[in-house]
Amino acid sequence: MSVNLQSRVINLRRNLLALGALVEQRVSSVIEVIRDGDVELARQVRAGDAEIDQMQLELEAECMRLLALGSPVASDLRLILTAMRVSNELERIADMCKGISKRVIRMVESGSYRYPPALVQMAEAALSMLRDVLVAFSNEDIKLCLEVRRADTYVDNLNREVVAWTRAWIEQDVEKSGAAIELLAIGQRVERLADIVTAIAEDTVFLVEGRLVRHGAE
Amino acid sequence: MQSEPTTPPKPASTQSSFAPGHRADVPSLAGAGSGHATTSMQTAITVRGFSSWYGEFQALKGLDLDIPARHVTAFIGPSGCGKSTFLRWINRMNDTISSARAEGKLDLHGEDLLNRTLDVVDLRRRVGMVFQKPNPFPKSIYDNVAFGPRLHKTYSRAELDELVEQSLRQASIWNEVKDRLHASALSLSGGQQQRLCIARAIAVGPEVLLMDEPCSALDPKSTLAIEELIESLADRYTIVIVTHNMQQAARVSDQTAFFFEGRLIESGNTEMIFTKPRNKQTEDYVTGRFG
Repeated sequence: MSVNLQSRVINLRRNLLALGALVEQRVSSVIEVIRDGDVELARQVRAGDAEIDQMQLELEAECMRLLALGSPVASDLRLILTAMRVSNELERIADMCKGISKRVIRMVESGSYRYPPALVQMAEAALSMLRDVLVAFSNEDIKLCLEVRRADTYVDNLNREVVAWTRAWIEQDVEKSGAAIELLAIGQRVERLADIVTAIAEDTVFLVEGRLVRHGAE
Repeated sequence: MQSEPTTPPKPASTQSSFAPGHRADVPSLAGAGSGHATTSMQTAITVRGFSSWYGEFQALKGLDLDIPARHVTAFIGPSGCGKSTFLRWINRMNDTISSARAEGKLDLHGEDLLNRTLDVVDLRRRVGMVFQKPNPFPKSIYDNVAFGPRLHKTYSRAELDELVEQSLRQASIWNEVKDRLHASALSLSGGQQQRLCIARAIAVGPEVLLMDEPCSALDPKSTLAIEELIESLADRYTIVIVTHNMQQAARVSDQTAFFFEGRLIESGNTEMIFTKPRNKQTEDYVTGRFG
């Protein structure tokens, strides 16, 4: 197999951003699912997960082919390593969307769907982070990556509000404990989603500067 | 007995991280990247403001470089960039070219290599050279290795036997030739001939081994044998290798210097050069975008 590394790397970047756009769309849909308790849309989000899984597998296979056959170095190597990680992270974000949708469906069908405003704010903040990180990746913008990383604290704080609201709900109506646990799981997934976006921001720093800034490193 | 290399002892490691397969005291990705090759390693060859000419043509332009002792330094760059020319200045092979001249500083352990009164025969004992194409003498395997030592000193038969064996062992070819030491060197395969040439070079106890594309005429298996040999020799000798094979430079060297149009564009730890070069021209060259 002939490997024109430069054109294949350009395609890899393009396909990764296409996966990013698709995942961004999923997160956007999930906000509507949460806000409106839209079961039909939630089912569509769940059904669409297979497409994202497939794209991720194709991207990972292409990264492996390029590593094995293209002998990449420097910026090509960094892009391929980053694409392997980021494609996996995007796929996990899509999984979070699927999990959130499943729980919203269960809550709505049990007739006990309630949520605090902080949950929607959280999801919107996570979506905004995801949009920013995709722009940062596309433009190789380190400053924006660092802003994304800082924004994660805002999401964490909102999650604490969701936990406090849910605790109060349980105290108020203990029979809704099951639904409350679902709500906590939704909040946890949104919070986790923002964490994964932060990891993408850190991977983008590696892409641009070759520095590893994970695990709290500056 | 073979004299030991006269290179001073290697300093203790001061760096904590290293690339797999590379020596531990090579500055890591985070710490490397200065214009000079090394900060913690002892320097064997010091180059400052070094320029050279063939007649009117300036082949090398103001090089500044420290080549660390007992490590492998790779010179990379497109054809005609000056890397082989520079290699040839290190053991004064350019002396045979009447139009060649140089200025600047080029020292081996503090000794001026451009000094006109320097004994170049002794220099070539201290700085061995391995060429692109294996070039054994049309003599026996034994005599190829014994040739250099006999020129420099009188040995007893037993001493010479031991020196030949030690040199062939160091060059990882002893087991293949020990039963036919008096067969013609030309009967060996290309890869074996190249290892024999390395044995011949190390038999005279050099401090530095210069290798000018030593694997370019070899098959992959022989290339692997030479690369493994280079790694095993790097604990005792300062090795400088010119290669057009980027993967080979990445595999065998601790430091890499990138030359372009007679200038040293970037030098530093090999891991850094192949993962995050600082210079755009280096990046473009190692990724195959030009050259």
